[in-house]
Amino acid sequence: MKKNYILKVSLKPLIPFIMIFGLYVQFHGDFGPGGGFQAGVIFASAIILYTLVFGLRAATEVVSARTLEILVAAGVLLYGGVGLAAMARGGNFLEYSALAHDPLHGQHYGILLIELGVGLTVAAVMVGLFFLFAGRRSVR
Amino acid sequence: MSSALGLFNYWLVIVLMMTGLYVLMAKQNLIKKVIGLNVFQTAVIMFYILLGKVHGGTAPILTGRPDEVYSNPVPHVLMLTAIVVGIATTALALALVVRLQEAFGTIEEDEIRRQEEGA
Repeated sequence: MKKNYILKVSLKPLIPFIMIFGLYVQFHGDFGPGGGFQAGVIFASAIILYTLVFGLRAATEVVSARTLEILVAAGVLLYGGVGLAAMARGGNFLEYSALAHDPLHGQHYGILLIELGVGLTVAAVMVGLFFLFAGRRSVR
Repeated sequence: MSSALGLFNYWLVIVLMMTGLYVLMAKQNLIKKVIGLNVFQTAVIMFYILLGKVHGGTAPILTGRPDEVYSNPVPHVLMLTAIVVGIATTALALALVVRLQEAFGTIEEDEIRRQEEGA
């Protein structure tokens, strides 16, 4: 993967568009088809494409394994945190309506934050799995 | 529309499922077996999504109109879980294949069995 200029030049412009599409699927998920799972996988596929073209070392400079571990935990923490925040404001666990003064706004914030947590975790897990398989060296 | 051709969707599911089953049974390469398992799983997922779709039904979000027909969301949500579990099992299967490759130097099942019997 040292001299594939055509591959590098032609695939590099695709990556930001894949990321934008992932973010669109993420944040449009409460009005149309989409949501955290799909968006996370689309976003992760952009990073996996980058890894395939530029190599594992260049990709781990962008997102290190430590960052991925933190992101995996942060997504779950965000999900649980929204549930606990709803409890702290006097509702049940994950009762979005309690999150804001207007129940409709509460529902909106709740589903957006939950899906953000799901998206973070899914993207980080997918990239992490790929890095683990790609970075694996034979023991013998 | 209850003739055999009217159930076109279900024929498609059966063909996909049998393709996956064939790959799973006939191929010796373990990576191909994993792919076959995934195809089989996709057939099951499609079958459940077909079951949940109501003809003319919309997304199950309350509109307030009394004559509105909704698709059944339960099979769809169930399959969302199945997809996630499928990703996890695929990752596990691939990890096992990697370990087998390290231990035996091959991912052909008959080759691995021959080495096991020889040892």
